[in-house]
Amino acid sequence: MTRNRDAILRLVGYALFCAAILVVPLFVDNGYLLNKFARYLVFGILSLALSLSWGYAGILNLGQAVGFGLGSYCMAMALKLRTIPIQTGAGGLPDFMVWNNVQALPWFWVPFHSYAFAIAAGMAVPAVVAFLIGWFVFPARVSGVYVAIITLAMLVVINLVIIDQQPYTGGFNGITDLTTLKLFGIEFDAYSDATYYLAAITLSLCLFLGLAFVNSKTGLILQAIRDDETRVWYFGYNVAAYQNFVFCLSAAIAGFAGMLYTLVMEFASPTFLAVPISLSIVIWCAVGGRASLVGAALGAIVVTGVQGSLSDTPAFLDTWMLIMGGLFIVIVLFLPNGLISLIDLALGKRRRGRAATAAASVVAIERSESSRRQSAAR
Amino acid sequence: MAGERILELQDIAVEFSGFKAVSGLNLGIDRGELRCLIGPNGAGKTTALDVICGKVKPSAGRITLKGQDVTRLPEYKLARRGVGRKFQVPSVFRQLSVRDNLEVAYCKHLGVFGNLLGFKRGAENDGLEKLAELVGLEEVLDQPAGYLSHGQTQWLEIALLLAQDSEVILLDEPTAGMTAQETMHTAKIFNALRGRHTLLVVEHDMAFVREISDVITVMHQGRVLAEGRAAEVQKDPAVREAYLGSGGIADA
Repeated sequence: MTRNRDAILRLVGYALFCAAILVVPLFVDNGYLLNKFARYLVFGILSLALSLSWGYAGILNLGQAVGFGLGSYCMAMALKLRTIPIQTGAGGLPDFMVWNNVQALPWFWVPFHSYAFAIAAGMAVPAVVAFLIGWFVFPARVSGVYVAIITLAMLVVINLVIIDQQPYTGGFNGITDLTTLKLFGIEFDAYSDATYYLAAITLSLCLFLGLAFVNSKTGLILQAIRDDETRVWYFGYNVAAYQNFVFCLSAAIAGFAGMLYTLVMEFASPTFLAVPISLSIVIWCAVGGRASLVGAALGAIVVTGVQGSLSDTPAFLDTWMLIMGGLFIVIVLFLPNGLISLIDLALGKRRRGRAATAAASVVAIERSESSRRQSAAR
Repeated sequence: MAGERILELQDIAVEFSGFKAVSGLNLGIDRGELRCLIGPNGAGKTTALDVICGKVKPSAGRITLKGQDVTRLPEYKLARRGVGRKFQVPSVFRQLSVRDNLEVAYCKHLGVFGNLLGFKRGAENDGLEKLAELVGLEEVLDQPAGYLSHGQTQWLEIALLLAQDSEVILLDEPTAGMTAQETMHTAKIFNALRGRHTLLVVEHDMAFVREISDVITVMHQGRVLAEGRAAEVQKDPAVREAYLGSGGIADA
């Protein structure tokens, strides 16, 4: 029955977290701060997505920012096409295309006139890219560190392609000078409550849907794959299909986070799918607790939050990176399961858990001893 | 032997970069049989199991399962057709609870999407708890498998195979590292299984083999040397020859 109690405690914990992030705008009446907090929440979604593939399925995706960046560009393209530009070519061509002597809107930009298409693409494009990578990687039984290397390489390649294709992607500058998103009569201005709520509600939905997912049988099988991949093949599961599924799901969520990020930042840039942010996601996940969705999200919020306030404080201007580095080392050394394991410690669960195990195995041993003695006597 | 042939190996050969681990192996097993596979070190016993479960592909020969050629099937498709495998090194999911381990092994639906909607699957749990009782793990159902003792881990893996409910179960040294008493308990489990499942057991412990086996197959240098009941096999001069220097079959 402790099983049910744990499950209820977890649900309560998740609900408290969601409530906490949802009430923030009631107390904060400062657009600049809200914008900053919304950014942290977007990183939380991104970190949660990695926790699904890394924490629950053992797939360390160092190219997690691929999905994030592609999602961000999809949203930026849609917004750019609705911007009333100062300099435009024939048919309202985006300004950077005019500067690059592009004569007509490229074919793959055309469907982004529709918000519905852009939002669908913001998740579908990352998922399809992930599927193609996964389709090569997982059936070939590539695992562990090799997946990490391949995904990192993929990230660098896509990043270079985007920078290189300046006439179509804006190159180094990315896609800037965007209009604000207006959907269902709501204007998602970067500094408004609406954008903050959008990020907070998305994160809450991701947390609860993610929790349902990891508690489904598919989620259980993914955890089994994390523990012993070979064993799972011999039960008749197509392990590669399971791995690819969670890989795509994670990319799609990252894509959605990317779209939100464009709304919050008001531009899309190749730095959104560069190596530094991609590796940061791994750190957020590790600090918060990679095998916990709320832990991973919290990790992102805490790390980026501390980072933000340290680097904003004049006293720490030169040393904030050093302090962050020290914090990571301390947490990884002393809390290998991340900050979220502090809650388990506080509840004394670990100690009780150990005592219970010891007691149970003593009982089991005694029982089997006595049954053996009986059978020997017979 | 009354039953039909469930598994048949014909002229199987396995090469590892030139080294012939198995060559010209012929083996037939009837439905419901409990067959023991013994032989000196390097005889190719584990390789034979690897070939049957699809871990290793033979360089020659043919495997038929229930009359169908399965020689080229990948391991997960073989598992779906009813071949289960226990490895020499016990492999269970250490971070998952014993109950979750059994839940994973209980695999009536194998697709990603079918399992997305499968939540705490109440009705199935009853059967799994009975299974845990059979192998004496009912007290530790909610403990992570990583906390189990070596013997318990072995039993858990056997229980996983039973949850999987394969028709043919391959076991590689299921009693390795067990005490004499634990071994006898395992023998009892196996005797309870015969008839319902077809078991092929690789084992070194002759006391255990004598306890459970109908027919023993002795392998040597990648092929079958002798086949028969324990007493017959032990008298066979060729078998004595093969075990020469290792103190005879009884100590093998």
